[in-house]
Amino acid sequence: MSIAPVSQFFILSPRGDTIISKDYRGDAVAGTTDTFFRKVKFWESGDPPPCFTIDGVNYIYVRKNGLLFAVSTQWNVSPSMFLELLNRLAKVFKDYCGVLSEEAIRKNFILVYELLDETLDYGYPQGTSTETLRNHVRNEPILVDSVKSMRLPSALKTKTAPSSSIQKPVSGSGQKNGSQRNEIFVDILERLSVLFSQSGQVVNSSIDGCIQMKSYLSGNPELRLALNEDLVVGKANAGSSFGSVVLDDCNFHECAKLDEFESMRQLSFTPPDGEFVLLNYRMNAEFRCPFRLFPSIGDIDPYRMEVVVIVRADMPETAAGTNVVVRLPMPRNAVSVSSEVESRVPGQTAEYSANEHRVVWTIKKFQGSSELTLRAKVTLPNVVNAANRKEVGPVSMQFEIPMYNVSNLQVRYLKIAEFAKSYNPFRWVRYVTQSSSYVCRV
Amino acid sequence: MAGRAVRAPGGSDSRFFTTTKKGETHELRQELNSPNRDKKKDAVKKVIANMTVGKDVAMLFTDVINCIQTENIELKKLVYLYLINYAKTQPELTLLAVNTFVKDANDPNPLIRALAVRTMGCIRVEKITEYLCEPLRKALRDDDPYVRKTAAVCVAKLYDINADLVEDQGFLQILRDLICDPNPTVVANAVAALSEIGDTSGRDVMEIDTSVLQKLLAALNECTEWGQVFILDSLAKYTPADGREAEGIIERVTPRLQHANSAVVMSAVKVVLTYLDSVTSVDTSRSFSRKLAPPLVTLLNSEPETQYVALRNINLIVQKRPGILESEIKVFFCKYNDPIYVKMEKLETIIRLVNDRNIDQVLLELKEYAQEVDVEFVRKAVRAIGRCAIKLERAAERCINVLLELIQTKVNYVLQEAVIVIKDIFRKYPNRYESIISALCENLDTLDEPEAKASIIWIIGEYAERIDNADEQLEHFLETFEEESAEVQLQLLTATVKLFLKQPEDTQDMVQRVLQLATEESDDPDLRDRGFVYWRLLSTNPEAAKAVVLSEKPNIADDTFTLEPAVLDMLIGQISTLSSIYYKPPEAFVMKQAPISRAEDEDLDDDDEDAEEYANEDGEDYEYDSNNADGLTGPSDTSNGSGAVDLLSMDDLSVNDAPAPAAAAAAAAAVPAAPGGGGIVDLFGGGAGAAAPPAAPVQKTVVCPAAQGGGLEILGAFVLRGGALFLDVDVNNRDAAPTQQLAVQLNKNTFGIVPAQQQIAFDQPLAPGASASYSLPMSLTPAMLAPPGSPVGAPVQTALKNMQTGAVLYFNIPVDGLSTMLPPAGPMGRDQFLAAWKSVDDSLEVSKEAQGLPFSGDVSAVTRKLQERNIYFVAGREAPGQQIVYYSFKLVQLHMLAEVTFPVGGSAAAPRLCIRSEAPPYAPLALQLLEAALRQ
Repeated sequence: MSIAPVSQFFILSPRGDTIISKDYRGDAVAGTTDTFFRKVKFWESGDPPPCFTIDGVNYIYVRKNGLLFAVSTQWNVSPSMFLELLNRLAKVFKDYCGVLSEEAIRKNFILVYELLDETLDYGYPQGTSTETLRNHVRNEPILVDSVKSMRLPSALKTKTAPSSSIQKPVSGSGQKNGSQRNEIFVDILERLSVLFSQSGQVVNSSIDGCIQMKSYLSGNPELRLALNEDLVVGKANAGSSFGSVVLDDCNFHECAKLDEFESMRQLSFTPPDGEFVLLNYRMNAEFRCPFRLFPSIGDIDPYRMEVVVIVRADMPETAAGTNVVVRLPMPRNAVSVSSEVESRVPGQTAEYSANEHRVVWTIKKFQGSSELTLRAKVTLPNVVNAANRKEVGPVSMQFEIPMYNVSNLQVRYLKIAEFAKSYNPFRWVRYVTQSSSYVCRV
Repeated sequence: MAGRAVRAPGGSDSRFFTTTKKGETHELRQELNSPNRDKKKDAVKKVIANMTVGKDVAMLFTDVINCIQTENIELKKLVYLYLINYAKTQPELTLLAVNTFVKDANDPNPLIRALAVRTMGCIRVEKITEYLCEPLRKALRDDDPYVRKTAAVCVAKLYDINADLVEDQGFLQILRDLICDPNPTVVANAVAALSEIGDTSGRDVMEIDTSVLQKLLAALNECTEWGQVFILDSLAKYTPADGREAEGIIERVTPRLQHANSAVVMSAVKVVLTYLDSVTSVDTSRSFSRKLAPPLVTLLNSEPETQYVALRNINLIVQKRPGILESEIKVFFCKYNDPIYVKMEKLETIIRLVNDRNIDQVLLELKEYAQEVDVEFVRKAVRAIGRCAIKLERAAERCINVLLELIQTKVNYVLQEAVIVIKDIFRKYPNRYESIISALCENLDTLDEPEAKASIIWIIGEYAERIDNADEQLEHFLETFEEESAEVQLQLLTATVKLFLKQPEDTQDMVQRVLQLATEESDDPDLRDRGFVYWRLLSTNPEAAKAVVLSEKPNIADDTFTLEPAVLDMLIGQISTLSSIYYKPPEAFVMKQAPISRAEDEDLDDDDEDAEEYANEDGEDYEYDSNNADGLTGPSDTSNGSGAVDLLSMDDLSVNDAPAPAAAAAAAAAVPAAPGGGGIVDLFGGGAGAAAPPAAPVQKTVVCPAAQGGGLEILGAFVLRGGALFLDVDVNNRDAAPTQQLAVQLNKNTFGIVPAQQQIAFDQPLAPGASASYSLPMSLTPAMLAPPGSPVGAPVQTALKNMQTGAVLYFNIPVDGLSTMLPPAGPMGRDQFLAAWKSVDDSLEVSKEAQGLPFSGDVSAVTRKLQERNIYFVAGREAPGQQIVYYSFKLVQLHMLAEVTFPVGGSAAAPRLCIRSEAPPYAPLALQLLEAALRQ
């Protein structure tokens, strides 16, 4: 019996102030927002789980840009449904307000209430897609400063759209006066989770990928997107498909029509307004890890040890990791830690943070097929023992690799379906590989 | 809340917040009445801004309402927003707006029509409901689907305000018709509305049959993601006619598993799992369940919140169908950046999936986890290693080696956990790994947690003959005996007695001292009782003492988190609901729902208390040891349970012979787990302070005034909760002495009620002047039925013994069969009814002519009347001159099948009532209840 409604939706600021609160059923218990905030703030370790119950009221919440989005209910609801809904509401608010921030929501509170009226009725989720909502929503967004200062680039001068274009509200007057550019952004985003053993072998690895889009195409034409022809879905079907891309599983946005997916690996869809994820996919098979880590510990003298971390970029020279951060935990009782990096490669620093007991090594740009080394000398108050060594590590790494993806999943083409073709849109296709959890045990 | 928003700068909507000056109301009022539309709109915005920050703007009601007559939708919406908020405070004035609503409901613009219907339903003023009916009826049949879908939800709103009105106006039927609506969103909302009405009324108003089913399946492919969830959840309630139908439905549902919305996936998983039980072919069933694995694993790549929900459900699914994720254990390995609540659940899944093939890999992982920084996680990882050892005999040694390595790290909390799990391993595999005791004993001084201390003391006592200086070790602990917690004291007592029995020559003094401490110095009744038992045993018959104290322990298994099959099935039916996250039946935490029993819940009623017990314990988040009553941490001596019984001379009170030796052993195992409560109580699964908080307050009556009760005032009532019968008592101690334990016995009575647990043990002794409530589980047994001919509904004669004073109180507890013995069980399926009916021999049928029973000729009226008493219509047929109707109901947990033959066509014959039951001795009683219900 999980077709059950929520009583209340609210957004709290990081300090616990109620920014938005909507009672859908007239049965919200007084003081729920305070009760909720206290529970979240004073949970013993870490964050509380996303759903919990206090005094017969159930709360489901997510954090978004520091804000707490929550619903309360006295029914046996589907928590997945309302977690998805909260995420969706955050997205809708972002689509409408341009950015998702306390200021943007406060300034647009009437618009937000109007959206809330349409997205939930009597606590039951209704339409949440940005474009259907547009038929029912009358308020114009009020832009906050960061969005206002944005200027649209001329396509002739630059080939990349500024990142702030993503903060443009989808609705608004732009369309009416025809100055809207027909463009669509496609991101093939892959997040890697890799765990290396001490010897540098891969213990566990997976790719969590998605094709994310944001469409500003006028007239919402039907689009076709084609993937690798030899794409295989499902491990069981991977029998003799050496060399081809094998996805363990994938799922699709509801707009995707899959008629030609089995035969031609082609999706047709009418893109909804705003940002949406066309396809999620997952790969657990072995893949070539873009970075490999080799940590080692040696003794210098009885009171000092040296920790060396070698990182090798195992990808073509044309690709490069950016904003790379390597974190190396050190023994808690370390007296001093001095770290050193190779001076021949510029743009890297390594600093020991005594509060966090770790060395943080940042590398602005990490070229493919190169290798970098960090040496950290640790001085201890006692004779180095096994327990001290245990405290070193695990090494974790954070990075982003633009225009590179590990799975080899490719977008062969993205085009407007023939019958609907009246113009050639600007297509921005990006490949990005990011670290999700990239850890090497020491 | 007030005034928080003021800080935002002007130039936007937030400027509406900035007026805090005096005379503001006056100003606003002027602006509201301004002829300028923009000014008006701004004024309303200001009013709403004030409203949302909690300022009272009710005094502007009339002025705002006056703005309602406008063509501008934006302004109209604002006024409606205001109206919904303040209608309740101004019901009279709200009537002024009704005209506008009615007019708007006929507006050519469908958006305005829908807006009017939606808003009217949110105005919870009973007076306007009558004006709502006509517009609503029209909206339900509107041409525009947007209006219809809004109207469908509005029926649910109206039902909440005035249920009778909805029934009388026939809105339910219209809603049912909307299931066949061409627009899928309308279908979805109709399903949601019907489901809510069903939940609040406790009736199945949806009535899914084959044709409705097809409609739902068709709409499933077309509607929005949320609608898909509604429809999938309603499908999960349908019971397929046969295996083929089940397969067909699963085929139609499996494509939903590839949806990007996790709620759709989870609900589809629920449907597949629910229907899998009906699939007869093993191959088909296997291929369906194989399809569940990839989407479930994919959920682990979503946001941590969604992962958590998925993992809680996966932990149920792998219990029910371990095969599904057998080969996927790697995906449950924890990531460095997982939030703690995700890590904890992953660990649980890992233990469920571990087997001889993957144990080495798992141990490597667990060892890493045991060295992370988060203390709770580390503890659970260490416990997990112990649980692996207990689960997989062949890997036990490898597990122990890992534990020994961890002990070498000397990290305090790791050590304590390791000691606790090693004790469990010793319990499971006695006399196999004792060589490691010395390694444990090296670290005695660092143990400071009661459970770890109790564990090492148990090990010392159990293996005293292998430890050179066992007496010194125990002596060391005895020094601080009085400061220790009850758990440790109990273990010290037992361990010393064990040591004495093994090495009597050196330890006489020691045991003497401990017994003295336990019986004379301590005010913990458990410790005293156990001390007395040992003392008596040792002094009267040392050989018997040896046999009892050093007897072989019952085997233990890793079933710490394993659920009863019936509870598991109930929770599987609740997948993707909060119930499956808390592992509690919905009744335990949901107020907004009348329980509807589904086919598969029906045999569940007896187990509800287990479910709640489990849930209670689970409430202590991640506490592994809190529910080890099953025996995992059960080192103790078998003497305790039976000894305690003797000591308290319960024999004369014992009604039920069941707790024989086996049960006593179980009780003994449970003792250390529940330091606060007596062993006997645990034996019945009640746990200390057993009952979960009552779902609904029960009207208890004073059954035994203090004067009669030797200082105890007792209020009591029988009550049905979650399908199980309880005796709820309030005890007010008006005596001068505290009391903690009471024993209960019932005389033979109309319903054959017996207590399933004979003692009431309060967590804390009940001090003079204090009062406490207790829920005592009850069950029915034919052996306790009053002899035939006794008056029905006579109060139950009850005896209560105060175990502290020995005083026995006698009093009566009233019981009303109709209102307390028939649970809202829901109707039985026709096929099920037919099968059950046939399975009862004709000779066991009881029947009677109900002379003088008024019968208007309207069977449905009778059916409605019976339904109020939880007697449900199953089927009916016509025969010449009579109409035969079948009903089903439950007498607590017993199914009753009834056949009522009504005379039709002016026949003078009396209606004939007839009962068949799986429990024939109860049939006459059920017959009387049925007759009473009919005569009401």
